[in-house]
Amino acid sequence: MRWLGPLAALAMGLFASLAAAAIPPEATYVGEKTCIRCHDTEAKHFGATQHARAFRENPRNPVEARVCEACHGPGSLHVQKENHKNREYLVGFTREWGTPIEEQNAVCMGCHKGGERLHWDGSPHENSKLACSDCHNAMARFSATGLLRSASISETCETCHAKERADFHKRSHMPVPEGKMSCTDCHGPHGSATRALLRGDTVNDTCYACHAEKRGPYLWEHAPVRENCLNCHQAHGSNHEAMLVAARPYLCQQCHSSPAAHAGQSFRGDQTAQSQLQGGTSNPRMIGRSCQNCHSQIHGSNNPSGARFQR
Amino acid sequence: MRKLTVLAVALAQLFVLETRGDPTIGGTTVGNALNPGGVNPQTSGAWMDPDGMGTRAPAARSPAGPPYLIPLDPGDTDLKKGAGWINQGFVELGLTHTYGADTNAGFRNYKDIPSGAYVDSFGFMGNKPDEARYYEATGGALGMDDQFYRVQFGRYNDWKVTAFYDSVPRVYTSNYRSLWFGTGTNTLTLSTLTPGGTTSAAATQANILDALSKTPDSDLETIRKTAGVRVDKKLTDTWSLYASVTDQAKKGTQPFGAVFGGAGGGGDIDVPQSIDYSTYDFLAGASFADALSSFNVKMTASFFRNNIDTMTFQNPLYVTLNGTSGLSPASFTTGRFDLAPNNEAYNLRGEYARSFPDFYRGKLTATVAIGTMRQNDALIPPSEFPLTGGLVTPGNVPLANQWNTTSALSRQSAEARIDTLLADLGLVVKPAKDLDVRGKVRFYETKNDLSYQSCNPLTGQWGRILNDGSGTSLVMASTLAGANPSGTSANAFNAAGCNLAAVLAMNLAPSVGNVPIASVPYDYRQLTSTLSADYRVGRAQTLTGTLERESYWRDDRERDQTWDDKVKLAFVDRGTLDGSIRIGYEYDNRSGSAYTSNPYSSFYSMSFGPVPAVATQNMASWIHAADQFRSADIADRTQNIANARVDYSFSENLDGAMSLQHKDTFYPSQLGLSGRQKNDAINFDLNYQAGPNAVVFGYYSYSQGNIDQKGVQPNSCTVGSTYYFFSNGAVASAVTGAAPPAAPAGTTLVGTQNVATGNWNSVCTGMSAASPMFPDSRGWDVASKDRNNVFGAGVKYDFGKVKLDTDFTRVLGRTSIDYSYNAAALGLTALQAGLAGSGLPDLTFAQSIFNANLLVPLNKTLLMRFMVRYESGKVRDWHYEGVAANPMPANNTAFLDAGPTDYRVTTVGVLFQLRM
Repeated sequence: MRWLGPLAALAMGLFASLAAAAIPPEATYVGEKTCIRCHDTEAKHFGATQHARAFRENPRNPVEARVCEACHGPGSLHVQKENHKNREYLVGFTREWGTPIEEQNAVCMGCHKGGERLHWDGSPHENSKLACSDCHNAMARFSATGLLRSASISETCETCHAKERADFHKRSHMPVPEGKMSCTDCHGPHGSATRALLRGDTVNDTCYACHAEKRGPYLWEHAPVRENCLNCHQAHGSNHEAMLVAARPYLCQQCHSSPAAHAGQSFRGDQTAQSQLQGGTSNPRMIGRSCQNCHSQIHGSNNPSGARFQR
Repeated sequence: MRKLTVLAVALAQLFVLETRGDPTIGGTTVGNALNPGGVNPQTSGAWMDPDGMGTRAPAARSPAGPPYLIPLDPGDTDLKKGAGWINQGFVELGLTHTYGADTNAGFRNYKDIPSGAYVDSFGFMGNKPDEARYYEATGGALGMDDQFYRVQFGRYNDWKVTAFYDSVPRVYTSNYRSLWFGTGTNTLTLSTLTPGGTTSAAATQANILDALSKTPDSDLETIRKTAGVRVDKKLTDTWSLYASVTDQAKKGTQPFGAVFGGAGGGGDIDVPQSIDYSTYDFLAGASFADALSSFNVKMTASFFRNNIDTMTFQNPLYVTLNGTSGLSPASFTTGRFDLAPNNEAYNLRGEYARSFPDFYRGKLTATVAIGTMRQNDALIPPSEFPLTGGLVTPGNVPLANQWNTTSALSRQSAEARIDTLLADLGLVVKPAKDLDVRGKVRFYETKNDLSYQSCNPLTGQWGRILNDGSGTSLVMASTLAGANPSGTSANAFNAAGCNLAAVLAMNLAPSVGNVPIASVPYDYRQLTSTLSADYRVGRAQTLTGTLERESYWRDDRERDQTWDDKVKLAFVDRGTLDGSIRIGYEYDNRSGSAYTSNPYSSFYSMSFGPVPAVATQNMASWIHAADQFRSADIADRTQNIANARVDYSFSENLDGAMSLQHKDTFYPSQLGLSGRQKNDAINFDLNYQAGPNAVVFGYYSYSQGNIDQKGVQPNSCTVGSTYYFFSNGAVASAVTGAAPPAAPAGTTLVGTQNVATGNWNSVCTGMSAASPMFPDSRGWDVASKDRNNVFGAGVKYDFGKVKLDTDFTRVLGRTSIDYSYNAAALGLTALQAGLAGSGLPDLTFAQSIFNANLLVPLNKTLLMRFMVRYESGKVRDWHYEGVAANPMPANNTAFLDAGPTDYRVTTVGVLFQLRM
């Protein structure tokens, strides 16, 4: 019956009110010094952030000049002792405080609208009801850049994207664990006009940012290559060389079965270099780079004789 | 265009130091394996703040549930106006020693772990509060292959300049036996062997094996160096501008291969590809945002330059020639590649969003982007050799001096260009308090103008010579009796020159159907329409439903159109439990227009004239694929995808998460990807933050997936033959009317099939029990199963004067490949069948990485760090099994890369961090 507890909680939660309404209009601003009287530890950490320095040293407008209250709202009601824990009198950005995420995000978007956030509405992260403060922590400098919740962009993303974290540890992978690439090299977490929050117009457009040599166009093109790199490659990591989605030659055989060539003839273990030592008949498609031993220009060829991607 | 390129290069060199860059790798994170999150100059070397974040101890939780980290002590951050520049910083350096298999590619890939004196990291920052000016400079791994640097300076809320430099090694193999001098350049010269081989393939094989036995293992490795500069300026409260230039260089060598001859290869060898790329990217944009509207405009220009446009290598093989006579195999002393051509890409993007507070609190978003990718590299002649004395067979057209100039080409440069268009329109409205409705239409297209004809104007021959002239693939007229008018020459098409209309007017049957005569200009259009609704069923609970159709129209593919219909449901609960729940489900059905097995006929010789379906003609080259085969990327399929994630706080200090992913894909295809494919993953996370003196975390991920596919080993389809099908699956043939072949021992004849002029197209193109070309008995299927386990854990513990920071990662990956086939049908010997068995040895990968750092603060400014790092790796890959011992399984085939090997490497070090 232990499942009854969570189930009841779930049912109750559908109708429960977690968070506070907007701050009453009679609240007034009290100034940063008033806040620091109680929140000196917060102030110490906040002082290391870009927000603090920008707000304190060169506020862009009267809102920013309020520093703490620029984001948390006017604090006059909150500073009254009996109201310290009244969540209706301040905007908070933690789960414990409970300000609805729409209100939290509206505060952030008050300054950070536009740019990449132009696509925030309807984006996967917005659809998942994420708050800005689920990924960012504006109160301390946890990360080298970006006021993230964790030490790095990738660690921040991996808080939720655990499968991708595991993928980055596979035999062939993007150099994310090695600190040479981050999730935001390819993805725009704040929104994008392209699926999977990709930064480019397409998957290929995103890949060309680093692999411009694949962009071509080539004299002789390979259809799945031109359309989508993910036809053959995993985006994050793979058990196979070159982040391929399957072992060669089987990957190639997912599209190639021409009877006049050799696509259907290579699939057995008696065709490897090891088997040849034991009397088997070797087949280069089962050794080393498989089909790419010969079709080495598989992303396209600019050689007039490169119709089969051999030169 | 040339002036623009020169200007671009000059600008790049103005802004960028001595190295190159790109906009992505190194752009968003600047670090390395020992500093994977980059360098935080404020807190590097600091321990967790005993006061935590203040009111929440040990740390507050983010709105979705997972707790924030306990912040590191940032030191003094008080604002000191009027104090001029306030500077601080640190440098961490010391001595390390690395031992074990530290040259192994698996260990060195993407990183350069030090041995000896080492500057691990540094960070300096300054602030002048009166003027709101600041700077920050970080970096690490000085002089190493994975070094990184980042500088930013500017004025808060006004302007900033950011520059970075990053280097990353990509080590493909450390077990490559190179036969050449000059790797990494445009000319590879054999170090000891004779170009073109010696007297025979066998003698040449002996010489190569001897040379390999004396050749040590070496690396195939590239290093990517990236640098960039970006300027950001806030013009007003609503307008901002930015511009950047990045410069990327990739140099070195990577695995590659060369083949000679034709018809499946007359010799192939692992020649290393020389890499010397430069890519220059320019970006400029402006953004506007006020209370109601947002607007972005962005322009990008990218210039890829390959400094090794062609690569010529001396050939050590004694090759087998194909399609020629009169040439000596030994005359093919070199081979030449036309490597990736220089190219340019431009993109102009405009984005606009407008809120309509009075129209159901709506918001409209529109994006338009136009782009183009172009390359117009000068084409190279098909061969460097004069091919003197050579004749094309059949037909005996002389090859001499007909293919070694660009006059042999139908054009002198590529003239390739693809234009793109993206248009995206989205509308969000909130017609009721708890209801959001979204609509989105997205259109994307590529337009490919390329039209290259493969025809030699000097000879009128269509097709091409292969692999420097060691093979040919040229269009001949059929000389079989009855295929063409009596006396038709094999060279008949040549008389029309490269005039395609004149060729077609001849109405002659070609001898084979699959000689490429023109390139295929692949392009497509994509339209995605989405309607979605969010309904808040509770204060923190939301139910989302989405309908989507994505249509593709592709030119020159097996299907003119495909469409994916998707239904998605999602539920998010952020408030019921002490955590959050997210559940999603998606049903996806891809279908499309009629599937044509061969949409490419107009690009092949089969389009030249009638099919020569006459006696003795094998029709294989007129059949592109079996009727039942479905290319994976456009095949029908249905998918069910489910995702779930729960974050839960067991207590104020202990939280956990579990996530599940399930994808079930069904392909109804009989050949190709076939049947049910599954991908599942489960992940667990635990995080215990006892307080600033102890933090423990751990995670475990398991994933599995399977791919099932079916193929068929083709037989033949010769007109005028009768095919005999035996009970064991074997297939034999004889000229129709002649004595039938003898049945294999112990078998009975179960069927026959005549192939004739009038029926080859119906009996040969599909797979069936009585198909001469694709008999059921020659079918095979392969099942690949991936299984992966990843375990990670870490501990931070404060012993008082000594603090421990340690983590461990263990990775296990396994792919099993099983297959089934009919050995008798494929004519395998008992030995072959025994070796083949029912599957290949599993592909396995195991890796362990352990890091331990003991931090000893010596005083307020000096920290000593003892570090231990251990890494082991183990790979088993049947592609490379036996290659080291058997690099030449055939006398004209050489595999020089022995593949991955095991390693264990330990690094110990003592580093000192000095704070200033």
